[in-house]
Amino acid sequence: MAKKLRSKLVITPWIVWLALLSIILLGGLIAGILVFWQGLGITNLTDLVPWGLWITIDLSSIALGAGAFSLCAGVYLFGLKRYQPVARTATFVGLIGYTMATLSLILDIGKPERFWHSLVYWNTHSLLWEVTMCVVLYLTVLVFESMPIFANFEWLRKRFPKIAMLMERAHNYAPFLAIVGLGLSSLHQSSLGATYGVIKARPFWFKPEMSVLFMLSAIVGGISLTLFASMLASRLTNKARVNDALIERAAQFVGYLLIGYFYFRAWDALSTTYTYDPGRSEGLNFITKGPFAFNFWIGEMLLGTLVPMILLLYKPTRLNHFWRMAALLFVAAGVVAFRWDTNITGLLVLMPYVPGQAIAYTSYRPSLIEVMAGAAIIAYGLTAFSLGVKYLRVVDHSLVEGEHAKVKVEAIEPVTV
Amino acid sequence: MSERNINRREFLKLTAVGVAVAAGTRAVTSTRASSDAPKGKHQWAMVIDQSRCEGCNYCTLTCQAHNDINPDIQWNKVIEDGTVGEMHVFVPRPCMHCEKAPCVEVCPVKASYYRDDGIVMMDYDRCIGCRYCEVACPYEARSFNWEKFTGENPAVPEWGTPEVERRPRGVPEKCSFCYQTIDRGLALGLTPGVDPDATPACVNVCPTGARMFGDLNDPESMVSKMLHENPSYRLRENLGTGPRVYYLPAVPEKKEA
Repeated sequence: MAKKLRSKLVITPWIVWLALLSIILLGGLIAGILVFWQGLGITNLTDLVPWGLWITIDLSSIALGAGAFSLCAGVYLFGLKRYQPVARTATFVGLIGYTMATLSLILDIGKPERFWHSLVYWNTHSLLWEVTMCVVLYLTVLVFESMPIFANFEWLRKRFPKIAMLMERAHNYAPFLAIVGLGLSSLHQSSLGATYGVIKARPFWFKPEMSVLFMLSAIVGGISLTLFASMLASRLTNKARVNDALIERAAQFVGYLLIGYFYFRAWDALSTTYTYDPGRSEGLNFITKGPFAFNFWIGEMLLGTLVPMILLLYKPTRLNHFWRMAALLFVAAGVVAFRWDTNITGLLVLMPYVPGQAIAYTSYRPSLIEVMAGAAIIAYGLTAFSLGVKYLRVVDHSLVEGEHAKVKVEAIEPVTV
Repeated sequence: MSERNINRREFLKLTAVGVAVAAGTRAVTSTRASSDAPKGKHQWAMVIDQSRCEGCNYCTLTCQAHNDINPDIQWNKVIEDGTVGEMHVFVPRPCMHCEKAPCVEVCPVKASYYRDDGIVMMDYDRCIGCRYCEVACPYEARSFNWEKFTGENPAVPEWGTPEVERRPRGVPEKCSFCYQTIDRGLALGLTPGVDPDATPACVNVCPTGARMFGDLNDPESMVSKMLHENPSYRLRENLGTGPRVYYLPAVPEKKEA
């Protein structure tokens, strides 16, 4: 029996990759069970730092999922129809990102069995309520938007051709879904920044531009990740086919967006010192000279913004696959660094509430359990994308969806691959 | 082709109108909600005289017992804050029960809410444990139940007996101005701040009488009089949260007396 299996099982890079992901997922499963069983006491979170690694993963996956709404809006609302196959990949990446965010939130809240309370008991004053509602609604939109992608699943096409056809038909509503998606995403992407921006107790966060920065960085990072993932997939497997001209043009667009983002980010950092609100300059110092100086200067500013800006706007480097991929990856990583630095700096700089006491600092380092669970959430995203590339042709620029012109169309015959 | 364009335009228009109506309604209701600051018959407040506080921590201990608090958590912390003359100055810090409480504003499920007597309450059965309130509180007045509090409470029975249920794992908790004592006292016709059976435990136990409690709506109450006669301050007043805990700053002459 074992011999028979061994003769059948050929070790391919694909199998090794899946095995590696499975190990990380298994570790995360154990960590997750421990968290639900023992509670958040086994994390390194404290009353002074109640939001840590998982919140960063949550924020980052939502930000990097923003390619879905921006590219769908571009394709279906602003008439950039030829980018449709890129938007298709972005939609799938978005779906993965938002489910990752949901996973990390379920892990992070103290009473996961009460997650539905935020849908039933509304506090319309709360940014977090608004974000929750928008994320839930947008996740629904993403599920509808991904229907035609899942309709590509060969097994489904053969076994249930009618269902597959029905799912494919969801594509006819793509422009409407894009409108709803654009609205919901604009709301919650910026509100995630405002979640921090309204906290007057912490001057480092308390500023209106938080929303703008979160929104802009999400669009830049989201598009970059989608482009990077498409390019990487096309290099690793023949299941993924890309139209390099499309990616190259979109990458140039990212380059231009980066100029705007860099302007806002630099302006935000420099203007932090305009007013001396106790705690604000300390936060800036913490991030520019303190323990996060490397993250800020190298991760966010140099590699995250300036270098990719040049690489993507300078034609020879943009045409070079290696430099383009590196630039796109740096942008996505820079957005993650921005989320991490912002969340953690605001928490680590402790504002005194007793008169005359000095500003103090605390520290946070995620525990092994947090790292294991966090790694598994990322591994889940990688697994889902890998399977999508292999079985759903998520990255396939030669695939053109049926025209979405008419709302009522004749059923399309399933395409046999 | 043209038909589709019109349809889409109409859809866009309808969406725009819908969003505008929703936003308008929300703007109106939220203005009403924020101008409707809770103003009931009573407005409870606490006055802490720093000239009298000696930092004995009795208030913390009795609070631990009456509210059955995990020893890892303190609702009512006494912080040393320098010296005046030769005497040490202390800042006891309960929950401030802010008039515009950041925790109430940010809670996604309205688990933190205002009572009409100004007490900021926690609904431990509704809370989802997101800890946004902890992040938003300017006074570090909230503590999360990282673990379930099991076993004996070391403050019981020496410092009192528990009057409320223990909070479950996974929710933040904080001082409630001993609302259970106030409500029971009022039902018995007593006056909080005057009759010990209607007054928060920390006020009753204070050996130097540094803590006073009462109704700001009653000009004859101890707190109203003290605030009328003495200079006072509140913590991080610049944030505009409007705390209901007032401090009378330590005065060297009073300290030595």
